[in-house]
Amino acid sequence: MDKIDNFLNKNFDEYEIYQEKSEYKSISFESNNLKEISVKQSQGFAVRAKKDSKITFSSSSNYDLKKFQSHFLELSNYSIDTKINFPSKSKGANTNIFNKEDFNISNNYFIDKLKKEIDSILKKFPNALCDAGFNLAIGEINLTNSNNLSLNIDESLVSFFISAQIINGNDMLNIYKYDTSVSNITEEKISSMTESLKEDLSIAQKISSTPKKGCPVVFTPHGLYQTILSPLLVSFSGTNLSKKLSSLCDREGEKIFDKNITLYDDPHIDLSPSSRNYDGEGIPTKKNVLIQDGKFINGIYDLKTANESGKDTTGSAGRSLHSNPSPSTSNIVMQNGENDFLKIIKNIDEGILVDHLLGAGQGNELSGDFSANISLGYKIEKGKIVGRVKNTMISGNAFKALSEIEEISSNTESVYRSLFLPFLQTNNIEISS
Amino acid sequence: MNTKFKNIISETLKQSKSNYKEIRIEESLSTRINYNGDKRENISINSQLGGSVRSMANGGWGFSSFNDINKAPEKMKESIELAKYNTNPSFEIYKNNPVKVEIKPVIKKDPRSIKLKDKINLLDHYKDIILSQSSIKGCEIVYGDTERKVIFSDSEGNEIEQNFIHVILRIAANSSDGNELLQSGFSIGSLGDFSIVENLDKDVLGCAKKAQNLIKAPKVSGKETTVILDQILAGVFVHEAFGHLSEADNVDENDRLKEILKLGTKFGNDDLNITDGGKIPELRGSYDYDDEGTPSTKTPLIREGVLVGRLHSKETASKMSEKVTGNARAISFAYPPIVRMTNTIIENGKSTKEDIIKDTKDGLYVKNWYGGMTEHEMFTFSSAETYRIKNGEIKETLRPVKLSGNLFTTLKNIDGIANDLEINQGGGCGKGGQMPLPVSNGSPHIRINKCLVSSG
Repeated sequence: MDKIDNFLNKNFDEYEIYQEKSEYKSISFESNNLKEISVKQSQGFAVRAKKDSKITFSSSSNYDLKKFQSHFLELSNYSIDTKINFPSKSKGANTNIFNKEDFNISNNYFIDKLKKEIDSILKKFPNALCDAGFNLAIGEINLTNSNNLSLNIDESLVSFFISAQIINGNDMLNIYKYDTSVSNITEEKISSMTESLKEDLSIAQKISSTPKKGCPVVFTPHGLYQTILSPLLVSFSGTNLSKKLSSLCDREGEKIFDKNITLYDDPHIDLSPSSRNYDGEGIPTKKNVLIQDGKFINGIYDLKTANESGKDTTGSAGRSLHSNPSPSTSNIVMQNGENDFLKIIKNIDEGILVDHLLGAGQGNELSGDFSANISLGYKIEKGKIVGRVKNTMISGNAFKALSEIEEISSNTESVYRSLFLPFLQTNNIEISS
Repeated sequence: MNTKFKNIISETLKQSKSNYKEIRIEESLSTRINYNGDKRENISINSQLGGSVRSMANGGWGFSSFNDINKAPEKMKESIELAKYNTNPSFEIYKNNPVKVEIKPVIKKDPRSIKLKDKINLLDHYKDIILSQSSIKGCEIVYGDTERKVIFSDSEGNEIEQNFIHVILRIAANSSDGNELLQSGFSIGSLGDFSIVENLDKDVLGCAKKAQNLIKAPKVSGKETTVILDQILAGVFVHEAFGHLSEADNVDENDRLKEILKLGTKFGNDDLNITDGGKIPELRGSYDYDDEGTPSTKTPLIREGVLVGRLHSKETASKMSEKVTGNARAISFAYPPIVRMTNTIIENGKSTKEDIIKDTKDGLYVKNWYGGMTEHEMFTFSSAETYRIKNGEIKETLRPVKLSGNLFTTLKNIDGIANDLEINQGGGCGKGGQMPLPVSNGSPHIRINKCLVSSG
């Protein structure tokens, strides 16, 4: 890369070189049998360079440096105005985001584990078809810039999923469990996921009557993420705040949500693959409070969007090889409440529990609106979960849904190990079927 | 073919004697130009080179992908070792007559011949049209062109080089009255034709006007109702509601689904005909050979309402004892090929759009798309434009809606098919982490007499 350094030094005022190298392995079972083992090795680099307060970006995975330089010079004729400066090095946190050893665990270990979990499902549900798999990844990021920043970041990831399908008549029931970590997922954790999948299968095979309009709606942690947080976080993104497209623009300190809502982005949770000590631009990360007691506190910024909004970066630059950095969340945590989930549903005479949606996130997310078909949801009757609901859609608005909360549970669960959320009951949700 | 690639390929296929093995090498160069809000945000050129090898043993696969193509021979050894872990019943892979061909790209107006400066000027002009309108808060423009060379070779003796040039453009306008933000947009694409992104002033202005009109438009309340879909949204509908379940990798090892999706089963009314085919020429889902070296075909899926075919890879065709259709596709060298759609079409019916609308007392006219998803028999898709229909006439603008249904009932609920087939090439399909794969969808106007909608 010395050649690139020389080229950039000669032609630009300031520059940054981002290099990424990674290895993946995936072991996947389909329809109860081992289907494929695949491995992947990838590498590449991306460059941002500034001249006269204008910035140019390009990336490559073919290491044809001559061609790269000629493309880069051509692009620099159309470079984009910028006021950002590449940071010099400062000390980041020391969160554990890397485990080298687990990547080398034998294939047979994972194959046996997957077989065992699938067999345990088939023992109880002989007509189920299971897919399951492990994915492992190990990556090395090297970030340098002309202001003497030089960072080497090692990352690792192990993820496990298992799903089961049961078809009755024309009804196809599919239940899916997933977890991920920086290091291998414990046997206890995997067994408990399989057990919970079996419990869900038992109860979901029974199809309940359609819920009546206006009945209480409770979201599981996953349902809360998919339905409400996912569109909500769009408005916290520096990309939309800097363009004044977010309705939260210039409203810091204003009470917008229910006073029981506190939400923050915590990049320093050990063993979470979403944790990071430095962001994609080399800024040390820190906890970023988004909502405190219902008040909007801060958005999610990288250098560019912070600069355009007149704020400080929150160290939230996410990055992939072939695109410019942009603001992204690490671990999103919602403060829990007082009552246990079981106590919350105990008080419900007729309602629904929403867990998975189909078609969420395909509408006008900036307005906070959501609308989706419930692909996995349960009917609550007289305080108990009695069966699954089908052919039912919910719609509403994330801001409205969080402005008046009925209940937030005391117990929280991790969703994809990057969101730590309670169960939540709210009003203002429309049900149609 | 480039001699360096040729040597690597022959060295790689020499490794060991496993049942079946293949190699792909891919080179690509793409230009991307993005606008967000009121200005150009990014312009970049990305170049990629890489390869992958796949081999079969014991009824399953081993796969390895890499950027450093010089490592292909040792990666082939690795993939053979990985394949040996399988313990499935073996199956005979379908064999076609091996070919040695080089396919030139489809080119009408070559985007590579257009100067970067001229591309930027054109997009700047579209941005200015949008921003000159009142109540407009900004625009979103994504332009991309990609040239892609894919070389495939296998132990059966195939040596296939294919070249593609893709052009895509999405333009959207954001409007606001100071409170809510609304968006209207459209997506287009082509194989090798830059001219599709030229002369769009009218469409761009129309897009800004539609975004303005949404500000005052009321929301629809959730209910089951009659919907008339324009060609674009009906294309998304056929892709989501039916296309994915016609992909044989969902079915080949699922006995219950095999029964449900038995060829000869009636799924729609007599005027419903659905076809998929990479062989339909010069569309974004078109190609001569799929990523397993199988020649593309045109596959009737539904004829007169009856299921008559499905989409196959070599593996699924062999396991189901049906013919290969050339639908094994990979989004890039880094992924193994899986069964995918190409160009999916509802064939023309006998009605006209006017008759279908006139015949509708109460319902919605839904146009253009925002997205769509399928999970087994359930699907959802969303409109970008919605209008009320009252007593056979199109009335006021409404907010976009999300539509949802079930394969087994919704196809039968199609009770009107017009004769104005059009094909949209602005979409990309996602499956198994591989997204966006170039596909096209097409349909005439159709009416679904009962469909669950909710405010999108």
